[in-house]
Amino acid sequence: MLIDRQKALLFAAAAAVRLLLFTAFPSLPSLLAGRVEVSTPVTSFKRLQEGLFLYTHDVSPYDGGVYHQAPLLLPLFSLLPNTSYYPFATNLVYIAVDLLGANALMQIAESGQSATTRLFKSSRNDLRWSSVAIGAGFLFNPFTVATCIARSTSALANLFILMAMAKASQGASITFVFALSIAAYLSMHPLLLFPPLLILCYDARATRSRQAPNAFTFTAIYALGLVVSLGSLLYISSVLTSSWEFLASTYGVRLLLPDLTPNVGLWWYFFTEMFDSFREFFLGVFWVHVASYMPGLTIRLRKQPLFVATTLTGIFAIFTPYPSIADAALYLSLVPLFRHLFPLMRYTFLASSTILYASFLGPAFYYLWIYAGSGNANFFYAITLVWSLGLSVVVGDSLYAALRDELDVERPELRGKEVKRI
Amino acid sequence: MALLSTVLALRRDPRILKVPPYLSLLCILGGIAWLLVLPLNEYSRSTYVSENALLPGQVHTYFTGSEHNIFRAYRHEVASQVEKSPQERNNHLGDILRSNNLRVATQNYEYHASGRNISNQNVYAVLQGPRADATEAIVLIAAWNNMAGEINHSGVALVLTLARYFKRWSLWSKDIIFLISGDSTSGPQAWVDAYHDSHSPDNVESLSIKSGALQGAVAVDYPAGPWGHRYDKLHIVYDGVNGQLPNLDLFNTAVNIASGQMGIGCTLQRMWKHDDKYQDRLTTMLRGMISQGLGHASGPHSSFIPYHVDAITLQTVGDGWHDEMSLGRTVESLFRSLNNLLEHFHQSFFFYLLMQANRFVSIGTYLPSAMVIAVNFSITSIALWVASGRSTSMPKLASPSKSPKDKKENPPTTVVRRNGDISIVPTAAIEITERPLFLPLAFVLSTHFLGLLPLYIFNNTPKPSLFLAYSLAMSMTSVLPFLTAALLHILRGPTEQETTLIQCFSLLFLGMFLAALATLNFSLSFLVGIAASPLSFVRGLYPAPKGEVEGFATRNRGAISVVGSLLLAALNPVIVIKVATLYWGIDVVDILVKAAEGWHVWGLWTQVVVWLAWWPAWFAGSVVMWSGLFT
Repeated sequence: MLIDRQKALLFAAAAAVRLLLFTAFPSLPSLLAGRVEVSTPVTSFKRLQEGLFLYTHDVSPYDGGVYHQAPLLLPLFSLLPNTSYYPFATNLVYIAVDLLGANALMQIAESGQSATTRLFKSSRNDLRWSSVAIGAGFLFNPFTVATCIARSTSALANLFILMAMAKASQGASITFVFALSIAAYLSMHPLLLFPPLLILCYDARATRSRQAPNAFTFTAIYALGLVVSLGSLLYISSVLTSSWEFLASTYGVRLLLPDLTPNVGLWWYFFTEMFDSFREFFLGVFWVHVASYMPGLTIRLRKQPLFVATTLTGIFAIFTPYPSIADAALYLSLVPLFRHLFPLMRYTFLASSTILYASFLGPAFYYLWIYAGSGNANFFYAITLVWSLGLSVVVGDSLYAALRDELDVERPELRGKEVKRI
Repeated sequence: MALLSTVLALRRDPRILKVPPYLSLLCILGGIAWLLVLPLNEYSRSTYVSENALLPGQVHTYFTGSEHNIFRAYRHEVASQVEKSPQERNNHLGDILRSNNLRVATQNYEYHASGRNISNQNVYAVLQGPRADATEAIVLIAAWNNMAGEINHSGVALVLTLARYFKRWSLWSKDIIFLISGDSTSGPQAWVDAYHDSHSPDNVESLSIKSGALQGAVAVDYPAGPWGHRYDKLHIVYDGVNGQLPNLDLFNTAVNIASGQMGIGCTLQRMWKHDDKYQDRLTTMLRGMISQGLGHASGPHSSFIPYHVDAITLQTVGDGWHDEMSLGRTVESLFRSLNNLLEHFHQSFFFYLLMQANRFVSIGTYLPSAMVIAVNFSITSIALWVASGRSTSMPKLASPSKSPKDKKENPPTTVVRRNGDISIVPTAAIEITERPLFLPLAFVLSTHFLGLLPLYIFNNTPKPSLFLAYSLAMSMTSVLPFLTAALLHILRGPTEQETTLIQCFSLLFLGMFLAALATLNFSLSFLVGIAASPLSFVRGLYPAPKGEVEGFATRNRGAISVVGSLLLAALNPVIVIKVATLYWGIDVVDILVKAAEGWHVWGLWTQVVVWLAWWPAWFAGSVVMWSGLFT
């Protein structure tokens, strides 16, 4: 009851803050939507509007090469009144998306899967924050708020990733597969979250029922389920746009990086500088690098699948081709689930200061480069490096803490002793 | 790895916490000393023109002879318009420009700030360059009123004469726009906003005729009346809004032409007498820094610089033997140089401090001074973070031997074995203390949000109430830290750790803001950094843990807190601004009116820095200092 009231209060406050920002500063959404840190070519709301215009005028939305987002967003947004004149409905949708995301995050927190899984029980599992605090961390994170105000479609992708995690941690396998397929449909790389989340779902199922389901059939059924659900989404899309060319304009763009608009990630600068003959090779290398974390982490941290999924969202926020602060917001909101690891983390101050510094210096250097003309691309790129460094420190440090936590359980006699990395 | 673990082991050393205050002090003194050596020959450089295309002073100027008669006639035409309304005046000026076969248009603008109504009209004419394709343009400006409020008789007449004169040349490869703005700051702002289509149509009329991308702008300020006045020097004004500067090449070209070709001395930053001594160079540099730090519009050129259009104002000063024709020839030669440009200004520096017309330091040389001052806050912040993680029961190194009583209660110890070495250390030294983050973070963040209140009030209060608002702000902000500290004590009684963390986060934010700001507006960052530097040494004083000898500071913490807080109250940004206005003999209301105009018209954000970075840091520091009284 108390939790419910707190939750209602939290949601009301978060919605009020967003409504206030939307109404008190009417130019803020378009300002933020134009910032490269918030909107990338594959998530920008302005590009969505362009696609929407073409779609409502019966032209293929992918003609013109501006729109790179999923086709099913178009009928959804065409139901809403025109955003240029009546932005209120769209704003409400985005507020609702954030609230639903927070709700899913709180479900993850309540499931307790972060500290106690089927095969592993952290020695510090009594150390945790309430789900309301974690929800507040997501809803009042300035990066989440900025994403919501900019109406970037990555807010939707984040929602479905969080829902997939929530359903997996509750063992609700069908909704999990469905949510994850939508997340993958919207932004492709969440597909990599399937193995760890499937393990999470399996563990949640196994703890609930007396007899653990057969691992092989479980995997086969839900892998098939994912293929079917993703396939049907793609099929509906092809019917909607009456061709399969959307594949090249959406996933093709995400895979092959034709649009080198700056963003907070590491790819754009690298591929701007590169000779064309090496492009394919390095595209392969970069993608293999991103994907390679998934199997390694899933196998090594088999006992903590939710931690693997969280760390992978952190990896996505650093190493995918079009990351934005929305991806960082997702990761940084998931990290507080692992409150029990915080005493073991060693560089929290360093990492948070780095991220803070980068988020202030980033816009300053972008301004120097683009508007003042007194800086150049290296200024902004240097700051994106610092930003990625900050996030990598969080990822690396939390990984260390998770491994150390496992070690403390396996070998209690080593607790509190210094360890060395070899 | 071994090195890393040594460094990590070092952070356990209690002595390491003694170093940061000295390090901070070193950073502050280093930053100031760095700035003070800049005027020396070894650290500054002579200016030079980097852009080859400019070729300053390489052309013969023909603006002489009969043009002088025309100028005098136009000067009387201008004088006849003094009493007229802006519309009538601009009709007449427009007719003169039109009679020279130029395309003429007017633009109305009306701004509201501090309850004042700033409205006037600009008139401008476009000369289509005979060799130009209307893709590039340069601007010649004369404001009807100059910055001092005098009527710019000869400046406007000179622009009219030059318009007639330039029209007859066939060599222009860029369009030339002649702009006679209604006033010196808002008029050019309205015009340049409308030129780039970034104006709000409610306040500013759109431009009916335009040309290409602006490559440069030169403003003339020559307020000599209808009977003329011979001047001594050219005062070159170059500060833009928010401390942005024009490309150094433009400045150098102007100096080169005026002093090299025309023999007119050049001066800057109101240094009417400059002997090229250390003292003069330093004064020039400091005046430049204050002007840059305030970020106000310093002339008609200022509004152009945010649009990446390099611009300067040529102002005539003193009594001498140079006449209007030499100024006209200077402008002619300057425009011939600008006409040569093949690309937008980019070769030379955008960040520099000038200390004489031909001596400067570039950003690489001066930036470290602001950076080390910003870093001093970060160092203290890191030290406070480390200190807040220390167990409070940590025994002092020297204390056990002082009295035999202490030996009875030995602190708990732990045996540490490492690489075969064994040592006994107090358990407290290797314990990790959890930090309560909620109260400090909430306090520091809400302090920063609180700054929005005065920001809003001062930007929107009408002029007659501004003095009252400022006096209220002075008294309120002076007592607020004491009240807040008392309230915190009554409600919660923050622990020593929480107080330390408040100061830690506040300094972390301040260091971060100043470091980011140093890249945008070096001077503002430096000045705020200096004014806030004592905050690095502010600590909340708490009684020593039980069983320990109280030092001098902890014993007299009440008195020290009160004295410290009172000293700190003098560094309140509101008081500092008041004292500065008293020192320079300016009315604080004028400053506030200018600032509000800047906020609404020019896009000035100096007040954002004051209220959202400097003031919150001071407030948090004062609360921390006062909290020592209540322990």
